[in-house]
This record gives sequence, structure tokens and C-alpha cells, in this order.
Amino acid sequence: MKRIFYIILVLAVIASCDNGFEDMNVDPTRPSQVSASSKLTAVQLFTSGDRYENWRANLIYSSTMMQHFASLAGYWTGDKYTRNAGYASSLMERYYGDALKNLINLQEQLDAEESPDEMKGIARIMRVFIFSRLTDMYGDLPYFEAGKAVSENILKPVYDEQSVIYPDMLNELQEAVGQLGTGTSEFGDADIMFQGDQEKWQRFGNSLMLRLALRLIKVDPAGAQQWASAAISGGVMQSNDDIAYIEHTLGPEGINRNGNGQVFTVDNNMIMSETFINALQGDPRISVLAQRRSDGSTNPADLRGLPNGLDSDTLEGATGETTTDAFADPNRDIITGEDAPMFFQTYAEVEFMLAEANVRWGLAGDAETHYNNGVRAAMEMLAIYGDAAIIDSGDIDDYLTANPYDAVNAIEQIATQYWIATFLNEYEAFSNWRRTGFPALVPVDYPGNVTNGTIPRRLTYSEGEKVNNTENYNAAVSRQGPDEFTTRVWWDVE
Amino acid sequence: MFLVCLLALQGIEAQITVSGVITDADTGAPIPAITVVEEGTTNGTSADFDGNYTIDVPSNATLRFSSIGYATQSIAVNGRTTINVVMQEDTEMLGEVVVTALGIKKETRALGYSITEVAGEEISEIKQVNAINSLQGKIAGVNITQNATGAAGSSRIVIRGPSSFGNNQPLYVVDGIPIGNDNNGSAGEWGGADGGDGIASLNSNDVESVSVLKGGAASALYGSRAANGVILITTKSGAEAKGFGIEFNSTVTIDQFDTSIQDFQKEYGQGRFGEAPSSQEEALEDGYSSWGARLNGGNVVQWDGTSRPYTNRGDNGKKFYRTGSTFFNTVAITDANEKTNYRFSATDISNTDIVPGSNLNRKIFALNLGSTLAEKLTLNVNAKYSVEKTFGRPRLSDSPGNANFSVALLPANINVEDLAPGINEDGSENLFTDNVFSQNPYFAANFFRNEDTRNRFIGSASLRYDITDWLYLFGRAGIDQYTRRGVEVEPYGTGFRPLGSMNDRERRYTQVDSDIMIGVDKNVTEKIGISAFVGANRNKIESEELVLGGSDFIVAGLEDIGNLTNQSRSRTFSERAIGSVYGSAEFSYDSWAFLTVTGRNDWFSTLSFPGKETSNNEFYPSVNASVVLSDALDLPDVFDFLKIRGGYSEVAGGADEAYQLALTYQIFGQGHQGQPLGRISNSSLPNANLVPFSKKETEIGLDARMLDNRLTLDLSYYTNESSRLIVGVASSFTSGFPTAEANLGVIENKGIEFLIGGRPIVTENFTWNTSFNGSYNVSEVISTNEDESEIQVGQPRTFSVEIKQIVGEPFGTIKGRSFDRDAQGRIIYDIDSDGVPIAREAADREILGEGIPPLTLGWTNTFTYKDWSLNFLIDGKFGGQIYSGTNAIAYGNGLHKATLEGRENGLTVTGIDGATGSEFTTTVAPEDLQTYYGRINDFAEPFVEDADYIKFRQLALGYSLPSRFLENTFLQSVNVQFTAQNLFYLMRSVDNIDPEAAYNAGNSQGLEYFGVPPTRTYGFNLNVKF
Repeated sequence: MKRIFYIILVLAVIASCDNGFEDMNVDPTRPSQVSASSKLTAVQLFTSGDRYENWRANLIYSSTMMQHFASLAGYWTGDKYTRNAGYASSLMERYYGDALKNLINLQEQLDAEESPDEMKGIARIMRVFIFSRLTDMYGDLPYFEAGKAVSENILKPVYDEQSVIYPDMLNELQEAVGQLGTGTSEFGDADIMFQGDQEKWQRFGNSLMLRLALRLIKVDPAGAQQWASAAISGGVMQSNDDIAYIEHTLGPEGINRNGNGQVFTVDNNMIMSETFINALQGDPRISVLAQRRSDGSTNPADLRGLPNGLDSDTLEGATGETTTDAFADPNRDIITGEDAPMFFQTYAEVEFMLAEANVRWGLAGDAETHYNNGVRAAMEMLAIYGDAAIIDSGDIDDYLTANPYDAVNAIEQIATQYWIATFLNEYEAFSNWRRTGFPALVPVDYPGNVTNGTIPRRLTYSEGEKVNNTENYNAAVSRQGPDEFTTRVWWDVE
Repeated sequence: MFLVCLLALQGIEAQITVSGVITDADTGAPIPAITVVEEGTTNGTSADFDGNYTIDVPSNATLRFSSIGYATQSIAVNGRTTINVVMQEDTEMLGEVVVTALGIKKETRALGYSITEVAGEEISEIKQVNAINSLQGKIAGVNITQNATGAAGSSRIVIRGPSSFGNNQPLYVVDGIPIGNDNNGSAGEWGGADGGDGIASLNSNDVESVSVLKGGAASALYGSRAANGVILITTKSGAEAKGFGIEFNSTVTIDQFDTSIQDFQKEYGQGRFGEAPSSQEEALEDGYSSWGARLNGGNVVQWDGTSRPYTNRGDNGKKFYRTGSTFFNTVAITDANEKTNYRFSATDISNTDIVPGSNLNRKIFALNLGSTLAEKLTLNVNAKYSVEKTFGRPRLSDSPGNANFSVALLPANINVEDLAPGINEDGSENLFTDNVFSQNPYFAANFFRNEDTRNRFIGSASLRYDITDWLYLFGRAGIDQYTRRGVEVEPYGTGFRPLGSMNDRERRYTQVDSDIMIGVDKNVTEKIGISAFVGANRNKIESEELVLGGSDFIVAGLEDIGNLTNQSRSRTFSERAIGSVYGSAEFSYDSWAFLTVTGRNDWFSTLSFPGKETSNNEFYPSVNASVVLSDALDLPDVFDFLKIRGGYSEVAGGADEAYQLALTYQIFGQGHQGQPLGRISNSSLPNANLVPFSKKETEIGLDARMLDNRLTLDLSYYTNESSRLIVGVASSFTSGFPTAEANLGVIENKGIEFLIGGRPIVTENFTWNTSFNGSYNVSEVISTNEDESEIQVGQPRTFSVEIKQIVGEPFGTIKGRSFDRDAQGRIIYDIDSDGVPIAREAADREILGEGIPPLTLGWTNTFTYKDWSLNFLIDGKFGGQIYSGTNAIAYGNGLHKATLEGRENGLTVTGIDGATGSEFTTTVAPEDLQTYYGRINDFAEPFVEDADYIKFRQLALGYSLPSRFLENTFLQSVNVQFTAQNLFYLMRSVDNIDPEAAYNAGNSQGLEYFGVPPTRTYGFNLNVKF
């Protein structure tokens, strides 16, 4: 009898315990690593963004604050400078959670695999682009310690001062461009921005450097000049072929689509702002960018913008209209598609910056030429939206004849063209407006606004950081100023 | 081979037929339905109405005669063929037997812990589509929540308080085999539907009994999965059948929309700022807004351009919801002979929910087979097969797809029937507002699809071999396997998704569980007995899901994956196992002192990984003891029975999910321009060093029966602490991960449970049984992580409130936006340019309540008069709060009655002007009320209300046809019954909603947001036995 007992016990122990458990808990559907190239493609799409943050941070806030769009809807909080903390923080939540999380992991992989320098350089430029957009929108942010939960177990990254982030980003760009050569990088076609073209990456790196340099114009004019000249001598974008942008497709999934386009599909509460439509009168772009809501007319005479800061009750008093039919929509036949391009930085912007650099410091040749190149490029690049968006060369000439370079008001004229050219890249429009003060936008004063009737100077941090990264959040707020829309970032001194 | 060996061991004894009459010692009358079992076997029968029994047994067998209410007797046959038995009434009911862990039947007197057994009739009496909901209000310490998710929805059961940050639902064991109770999806802040749960496959007509093992002591033998308690379900068998029999049970119930719950204002109609819409466009813009003019009877234009009377058009809920119905039909056949007994049942449950388009049908087949293969070898086989089809699971919470949202919010002058059929001629949704997310309720109910079919097999077989009369070997293996096909369609033409989308999914689930044990059962001396066993268990769960999905139908109306422009597919797979060895030893002394010691070691695959250095297993013990004082001491006569008990137990557990230990990547989506997309797949930072969590519980209790058993009392006090809980520690998302896995959570629960039973009136024809139970559980989150920061569990679509785990607070604390107040508690306002005071928000969110009511009470009464019986159940929950999203949204839209104040002459508001810090009093003009109230609606504070209630939950009136009418028929018994459920509230604190109307069966309790409205249910039941 005892023997049976022991046999059973031994059988039981063998049957149970943890035989095979180690292998069982290795996920058979998930690899332990994927190629660096596949991460780069994803990071580039994450940077272009999905509907979520493009809806909230880019369109609802930035586009209306910049008076490209206006809206009667209460939840279009940027139109009225009211608070929606979740909308305001959407960009940082998505960028850290998707783009940076995977980009920093990609960089660690490139180091571990001792990948070619050009791959590291490309990743570094992507990283600077993402961080520059973030810090421009929010100010001080986790920079050096961000995205290092896996590699260094840093769960609560320190917020770095923008005054420290900027020099590092500029250095990074300089070093990254130095890592690039000619020909095609090992990323190849996985690089959906430039298909691995290293020279285009060099030009994008330098153009981004020029953008960041000019950001410093108010806080550090000497540094701005120094970095601008370094960027120009390094070689910036030369034509619309150099534009940094993402080609989107109509699905199959959200990540493949243009985030703005997805918003246009589901939300028709954005109407072209009166400020923007008035600025476009006499501009051949108006018929590409706008159409009348009621009948789709693109005749400039039929196109009227909606003043910002109205709601459906104040609409009639302010405009005489009871509905929005008379106002202009974004041109839903051309620019609102889910397969529309998403621009990160364009050649037109670069030409305008060169014009400005010439005006300020005499750099880069001739301001008028750069201005004309910029206007022409900004009109011609619309062709990327499709044949319907091609602007006749003669119309461009006519426009330049009617609106020649004005040396007296050059900075305002250049900045206004920059503002038009960055329509839909509202983050950039917002940053450049804060830096230059142009165009001179008239703020609205809507009841319940949280800015005392002034145009916001930044977006507010994620509420979650107050709780989950309290110490570092508090340090940033006490250094930078209250976590409000009216607090200025470091480079945006008055 | 093994079987052959065992068979060879048995001896051969002559079979004889034994018969006799069983009579009552006091009255001399024959006793029907006494169970007669051959000891050590499942061979058994029961006496007929005249107390006659017949059984075939070996000539050296021992017969055991038992029945509740009589002292059990064991009589050796010794070759006799006639054995007449005189049964003594068991005034102390000492022979009461309950099913405990591992299906072992024990006398309650030996238990050192609290266990509650509910007879099958109590569950099948008042039928619910999800049978387990019938336990509500009946068991102290068991908190059952029936959410507002429709008839096909999940139920939430928590025993002795939530002790985990993850799953808190108990383990269900059916006929000895754990079954899966996974929730197939539930609504969150963005909406969704409840996909139902695993226990829904249970058919109440098949249930013999339900035992609830509440404490760790009771469930230590089930290991880690029992950390939340165990619900043991034993299904009916043929063991007690008297030859071949047929039972037919038919129930029909009717559900009606309860019009007494929601009470919104019907004085002002659609519009804004005090004005009715003046154009179709304005009407579209106004949507749900009830800030219009006073309803005046004139004609006012509506969304479709048609002008209709500006009057109260009646209760839209009553018009939209239909009368629901459920038909339960079961046919069962039973048979038993000396070797074999079986019961086979076939059941059909068809339900039509009150939400149009929501239906379900379940067909359940169950077979229980018991067989004495040889003298000492018995076999039991249980098999259940079910086909469960559900159509139109109602969408809940946030608006898109949620018909309930639209129906509840329509302004008084809009008749919901004018929105029917919800579809335009071109197949697109007939929208009644310019917000595409405001769903036409008919379109949502009739054209959205959310249907699934689950084919499920649950089977087990157990074999027991009695090696000697005190030593046995037992083996059992079981499987729960199902395939669930589901289709969800947002059709072509949907307002917010014009081209539509769909998901087509198939989930396969398999759980295999096997035990082997060897045990002894022996009286060592005359007074000292020992009952012990050791065993081993292995449990493995495998789950796989394939999803085909996509968006943008090409051909309108063809809802097929192949007809989608954008197609996606995914596969998820998970496999996890637990291996265990366990043992238990029970010592008894003179049948009045008992001591049980158990131990178990579990190994967890979810805590194993190649190269992992920390432990993947843990040993945990339990000890409990009971002393029957009424036997041990000379107590006053008033006590018929008095027992005290106490126990201490530990349980360890692994991670809920597989694959949490390692960083992994994934190729996701379908690439872009031919390039694959890669990323990190973990959303929470994995931790390679996770170890098992631990739950420790101490329990003491007493069991007393007094006054000739007319008064019974069962009391328990317990305290438990779960530590090293695996939590997603909140980290900054800027680190790349919003949470990081760690063994840092600690939760404590303390509570008391009581059950007072009484038989105040017992006469020959009339009896009154009453039973009052209750429990009070205090939970406290002791630790969340190294910073003790708060863990968010859930939030509603308004985002004004969260359910959180906060250190020092009860589990599931409600925290939300509250008013900024000055030192005297006066609300601070900003005065806007129109002079409207806009309430300020306090800088920090405040704790506004707890989502799980700590106090639950239930009171059951049964009256019998001759062949009639009447029973009712009143239950209540107290001390919890609920955030009513329905009230908040209704408030903002001017539909809540509280917003009537000031509509005619303005509202006087007194508060503190934030700009000056001094008090102001102003009158908000009627046209500005929308602005004023619209701000209030952003706060959570006014909408978190007490969820206390007392409900008249059940009423049943039954009649049994007297047996004298049946004497000359082929019928054995006929019972008819009328039932009613949820008739009315005796007390309800919160307006407009059912206080139990949460939309989520998970830990995010205390959030209500436009669920399926409450119903009253009436039923009729017929039971016939042939």
C-alpha cells in the first residue's frame, strides 16, 4: 500500500510543478526585436500623428489661435482661449507615448547593433524635430531622461529647461548632419520621408537648424545669427523636392492616414477664419484652400471667412448670418483628404527664413530673391495635393507683381507669407507667430476665456504629470511660470 | 492499464436486493425521499412517497440513510434482504452536509470557516437570464451587482471585499471543474457593449446546490485562483431518482420598462437660451438642448423641417423600449438502477430584451452520469454543451451607438417615434442633430450589429477507487472549451462613420484541469478521527482570438469583411498554467472538536521566464478549528447547538495575464507604402522580477441554534490583507510607459457577516420562515506603489470624475471636480462679461465617495399554507456612492428638474466673486441659465450621490397540486408559481437612475452613464414531474 502511495506522490510531483513554464511564458506572437528600419517607418508616421492629437492640439487649439480656422462650436477651445486640459496636452501625450518611446528605443538598437553612422544621424534629426515641436509648444520638458524606462529604468524623468534643450538640439543637428554622407542610407525605402536620400537628410537637418536658430531671435540674437549662418553654410533645402513630409494613404488603418484629414472626415465645425480668408484675397491659393460651405464655390468673391470667437448666439449679431452656409470651408475637394501630405518643413519656409536672415544679418544673398522663391515655392508645392491644386505659373507672377517684396516691412511681410505657407502645420505657424509677432492677429475676448483675452503663448502640460511626476512637474512650473496658456516659453521673451 | 490494475484489485461479493420501509420515530408515519446510499459508493436510491425503498447491494455492504432533518444512520446489511428503518428527527440538524473545497461533502459542524449553501430551488425559483444573479441578497458577504447592461450582460460578484487591483471575481467550479468566467468585453468611457461572461452558460434548472466558500480557509485547496473566494456549483444528478422519471419545467417572464425611475422636466422644450428653434437648422443645432421656451402648444419646427406641437409628447422611454420576455423550458429525464444513474436535461432560454434588436437564445444540454463500475470503483461523468446566441448587445456609456443615450436625452417636445425607423431612403442614418455623434436611437438599435455565438462544452470525469474502507484514490479531469464568434458592425450610412466599419472575431478558449489525490478516512481510536489527503493539480488555460476588421464598405448594405476598403487582421494568443501539490488533514475528537490543516504549493507559468531569478512559486498553509460547545459543555437548554470556529489562511497567486515579464515588439498594422511598421508592444513597463502575491485571512465565527431550532444565528468576523499585488505603478508617460509592473500593492478588508434565521410560526398548515442576512465590509488601500500615488481605474466620458485607488481610502474611491470654496465653504465664481457667475473649480480634485457599497442586507420570508407558498426578498445596499453621468448630461442640457429653477424669473445666486473676494448676490437672467447651469454640469460634485437603496426585489407565489389529486395519474408532482422582480424601491437616494446601474463589471464601480434602463419583471412557472 505504501508503495502505491509513493508512486502516486512521485507522479503528482512530476505532473505538476513547473515543467515547461519558462517557455510557456514567452509570447509566441511577439518578437523579442524587430528591425530598426521598421521602427523608423513607424516613428515617422507617429510624428505625422493620428487623428487624436491633430484634432486637439493642431486644429482645435493651434489652428484657431492662429486664426486659420474659426469655429462656433464650444469644444473648439482654441477659437475662444478656453481651457480643455486634455486637448492641450494631447500632443505631448502622444509624442512621448508613441514617437519618442520607439525612436529612443530605435537609437539604442542602432548603438547596440553598431549600425552605420548615417542611420544614427537620421534618427537624431528625427529626434530633434520631435523634441523641437514639443518644447516649442510646452516649454520645459523631459528631454535627456525621456523615453528611458527600459534602458535606464527612469520612470519619472526630470524636466529640462528649454534654455538647455535648445543648445543641445542644435548641437545634435550639427553632429547628425556630420554623420551623413551621400547616396542612400541603410534605411532605404523604410525612410518614408526621403527614401534614404542622405543629402536630402543633410539639407533637412540644416533647414531644421535654421528654424531653431531663428526661434532664438528674441532671447539670444547672437546665438541665433551664429547658428543660422552655420545652417546656411551647411546647405539647406533647395527646391520643393527637398520638402520634409509624409505621404499618407487612405488607410487601411488610422496610422496610414493624414491625421488632419481624419478630422476633416468627422468634424465640420472648422470654418476658414475671416483673418485668413481676408489675407488670401487676391492670392491664387484661395481657390485651392477654400470653398463656400453652401455650394462648394471656390470663386474668391464667394469666399468669406468666419470671425473668431463667435458662437451660434453671437453669430447673427456679428455677421448677419443665421447659419454657417455663407462661410468658407477648407476646400474639401483638394486639401482635406485622408491621403493628403503632412508637411514637417517645406522649402518655402526655408526661403522665407533665408530672406529674414538676409534682412537681419545680410546672410544668404538677397532677401527679395528669397522672398520671391518662397512665395513661388509655397504656391507650387500645393501641387503635391494633386492636379487640382496646381497653380498657374502666370498667376504666381501676377501675385508677385501685385505683392512685391517690401523692404520697409520685410519682416512682417515674410512672416505673413510664412503664416500662410504653414496653414495646417499649425504648430509651426504658432511658433513662428510667437517669435515674430506677425501677422498682427487681433485676439478675441470670449466669456470664460482663461487668457484675459490674449492669444495663448503655449499649451498646458498633461494633467497626469501633476500626479505621476509631481516633483519634476512642480520644479518646471516654479521655474518657467504657472502651467497656463499665458506663460511664455524661454525663447518667447516679451 | 491503470484501470485494469484497479479492477483487478477488487474482490467479488454476491449482490442481493434489500428493501424496506422507512418511518418517523415520533409519528410512525412513512417518510418519503430519504436517501439510501451504499457507503463508499455512489450506488443509491431514495424512498418513495410511502417510505419504501429498494436497492441492490453486495451482501456485506453498509447502507446509509439520510435526509435533512433526520439523523443519518448507517446499517450493515449482513446479508439481510429486508431492513426497516426508524429515523430519529434530528432536532440539532447535526447531519447537515455542505459541499466544500474539491467537492468534498462535510458536516457543517466540522467546519472552521464560513460557508453558505443555497439550494438549487432558490436559484431556479425566480429565473434570471444569468442564473448567478439569483443569489443577490441571499448570501452574507457576497456582493452581487447586476449592471445596466441588458439581459445578456455580465454580473459582478465580489466576496468579502475586493482584494486585488486586477480581477476580483470568484472562481466558479462546476461539478468539481473550474470554468472560465472571462468577461467578453465591457463598456468604458468611450462606449461599447457588455459582451457577457462565462457563468452565463449555467442553467438554473440544472443546479442542485450552490456553495459559496467565502474565506481563504475554505478555498485554500483551490489555490491561487480561489483568492477571491469560490462558488461551487453542483448540478443535479440521477443519484436520487426513483426509477425512470421525466421533469418538465416551463417559465415565462415579462420585462417592462420601469417608468418610475427617470423623472425629467417636461415643462420646457428644445431650444437654447430660452428660445425654441426658429428654423430647421437651429433645431438641428439645438439637438439635445432643452433650454428652449416654455412648452406652449404652438407648432415649432424640428430637425426634419416639420413643425410639430411644442408640448410634452409623453414618455419616450415607454415608447421606445418594448416589452421584454424570456421563455425558459427544460425537459429532464432521470433514471437510476443499482449500478448506474443518470440525468439528462435539455433547456432552451429565449430572451427578448426591452431594447429593440436585443435578443438571445441559449440551448443547454447537460448529462450527469454516475456508475459503480465495480464494487469499489465509481465513476462520475458530467457533460454540458451549450449553444448561446446573442443579438444586438446594447451599446452603453458614451453616445455613438448607444440608443439609451438619445432616448433619455430627447427634449420633451420631441416624440422619439418621429425618429423611427432611423434611416433615410438612401440608407444613411436619419440624424436629428448636426452632431454626427448624436445617434438616432432607432438606427443604433436596428442597424448596428453586435452579435455572437458561443458553442461551449464543459465536461469532467472522476474516478474513485476505495482501496480499503479507509483509503481511497481519486482522479478527476475536466475541460471547459468554447468558441465564440462575434460580429460587430457600424453600418454603411452611420452618421459619424459614413462608410461604416466592422469586426469579425473568433475566440477559442480551453481550460483543462486535472487532479489526482489519495486520501484516508479513519477513526484512529473511538474518539479520534482523521481524514486526510494529498493531491496534485494542473490547470492550463489557452486562449486565442482572431480578428478580421476594417472600415469603409464598398457596396452599401453588404456587411462582409471582403466588402471593406480597409481591412485589418490580428491574432492574439495566451497560454498560462498553474501546477500544484496540496494536502489536507482533518482531525476530530469525539465529534465535537475539529482541527483542519492544509498546505499547498503553486507554481505559476505567468511568473516564469527563461533566466528569471526570482521565485515563480509559493507555499501557503491554512489552519482552522471548530468546537461544538453545545456538546463539549453543559449549556443552558435554550441552545440546541452552539459552535465556535476560527481559522487562518494564506493564498498566493500569480500574474493575471501571461507575458508580462519581458519587453516584446510587434509588427503592427499593415505597413505603409510597402514598409512594415515595428514598435514596442508593451504598454506597461514589464518587470522580469515579479513574484507571487499573497493574501492572508483570519476568520472567527459562531453558529448557534436556539429555541428548538426556531432561531438560528451565524456570525463571522474576518480580516484579510493582500500584499505584493502586481500593479501597474503609475509612472510619467514621458518615460515611454504610463505604468510599470511591480509587486507593490496592498489592500486590506475587514468585515462582519451575519445570518439570522427564524421560524416564528410553525403549525400543521402554516409556517413562516424568515432569514435576514447582512455584511459590512471595510476595504482600505494600504499601498499602491513606492510613491503611494493614485491609480486610476476608470472614468466616464465627462472626465469630471475618476474611480481611483488611493492610499488610506476604500477600494474604488470616487474622486472628481468640485467647487472652489472660500474658508466658509461658499462657492467662488468668476463673473463673465454678461454678468453670469461661472463657478470656479477647486485646484485639486476631491474625494466624493466610494463606488462599492460597504453594507449589504437581504431579508427573505417564506410563508407556506397547506399547498401554497409565498416568499419575498427585500434587499438593500448602503454607504456607497455613484456618479450619475445621466444626471450630469441631463443637467447640462436643461432636462434635469433642478434646472427649472429660475427659468421664468431668473435665478438668484449668492457666492464669492473670485475677482474681489467679496460676497455677491445676483440674479441670473433666464436666457443666461444655460450658461450658468452648463458650467455646473462640468463638476462632479453635484452628481455624486448616495447609492443607497432598499428594493423589493422578488416575490413568488406558488401552489403545488396536492398529491391526492395525482394518485391515479402518471404525474408525480405539479407546481405552478407566479413571480415578480424589481417591483419597487422602498428607498432610493439617487434621482432618475437605478442605483445599481453601473455600466462596467470590472473594478470601476460607481459610474453610471446611460445604461439599459431598469425593468420590472413578472413571471409564471410550471413544473411537472412524471
